[in-house]
Amino acid sequence: MRKLDEQREVLYVIRTLDVLMSSGVGLEAAIHTIGSGGYGIISEDFSGIMTRLQKGSSRGLGSELKSMMNKAGSEGYRRLLNTMYTNVTQNTDIIETIRKQGARMENERSESVTKYIEELGSVPETLLSIGMIGPIILAIAGLIPQLMSGEMGAFMKLPPTATINIVVNVGLALTLFGMFMIGLKAHTKDPGL
Amino acid sequence: MIFMIYGLIETFNENLLLLVLLVFGIASAAGGVPPMLERKRRRSIENTLPSLLESLSDSVGAGRGIQEAMMEQSRTLPGVLGQLLKETLEESHSSSFDAALAAFAAKTRSSQVQRVMVLIETAIEQDAPLQGILSDLAMDYERLNDLMNKREEELLGKGILIVLFISIGLPVLIAFIVGLFTPANKGFQIDSFNVTFSLFFGAASAIAIGVSGRMLGRFKDALWWMPGWVALSMGLYLGAVIMIGG
Repeated sequence: MRKLDEQREVLYVIRTLDVLMSSGVGLEAAIHTIGSGGYGIISEDFSGIMTRLQKGSSRGLGSELKSMMNKAGSEGYRRLLNTMYTNVTQNTDIIETIRKQGARMENERSESVTKYIEELGSVPETLLSIGMIGPIILAIAGLIPQLMSGEMGAFMKLPPTATINIVVNVGLALTLFGMFMIGLKAHTKDPGL
Repeated sequence: MIFMIYGLIETFNENLLLLVLLVFGIASAAGGVPPMLERKRRRSIENTLPSLLESLSDSVGAGRGIQEAMMEQSRTLPGVLGQLLKETLEESHSSSFDAALAAFAAKTRSSQVQRVMVLIETAIEQDAPLQGILSDLAMDYERLNDLMNKREEELLGKGILIVLFISIGLPVLIAFIVGLFTPANKGFQIDSFNVTFSLFFGAASAIAIGVSGRMLGRFKDALWWMPGWVALSMGLYLGAVIMIGG
């Protein structure tokens, strides 16, 4: 969930940092602005950094950014934090770097959306295959004790009805689980638009 | 025919879960309509945003102030965004331009517009070159909206397909098999079988709605429709079994 939130917000954060820092705002003030809200989980992270810095309970902005890098779930956010950390420790040209990062991230986002659409292309077919074939087979299996009762039962020895019912119930539960797992792909692969 | 329908509804009296879901489904469907309308309004605003930003960038580049450029755009911009901008700027005579921007962002109820307004406000405060910023923002949001529209267009059909097949097609198909091979009027005892399968179709329908909603990126909105579809699926199965099997 955290990864998805980061992916959704990181590009907006980069654009805001770009505008702020191009206008002459310093890195710490920019972190403070973003930390004041509007950028989801990243705002929470930055707000936490600022609170610790103001309390004096941290070893400085550099170490805060470094520890945040370990917490980051998405590659893009980690890269952004790394750029900020490098700027703090080595005084690099952060504006140029984040602009490049923004362009790169935007391309990645376009690619991931296209990939998401392609990958989900097969979900309806797979979901329908499992969701329809399973119940059809299990329905017939569940009806066998009824269909084979009476004279028909003399031709073939059937397992007890209770056993057949358990098999049908377990089969239906497994079908639901299979459908859920296939559907989960729609959540886990979400590009975070 | 009417007696047949009454008779069919009468048979559901014993199924408490179905009745509860039916009532709950009708009530929550009414709650599902406002998010749909709100989304339609929001997307219409967001799709117009890049053209507004581009025009503002051109006007600022031509030497106009941002406030003047916005006034001009509010008169020519079509749709809800133009109307809201016009309303806000007319109301803002008694307050500051910053307050007007904030009010406009709040009125649109769109996170895209709110983000853009915060950036414009910051850029004005910091005396940053607005033309370049507005032009960059226009391009960014145009690409973002293109992606969002593409996702919507390509996955909407697939989402509907999943729901229709799982929630309607599958219960009717199984009910047809069950009703045809083991008709109740011939003495077949399939009550517990029907309960099990109706519950399965309810759960399968809930999964189908959830997956379809998540594919389109609006899972929470889809939740409003879930009880209704679950009840429909269960009702369709039980009703079709009775109609075919007697």
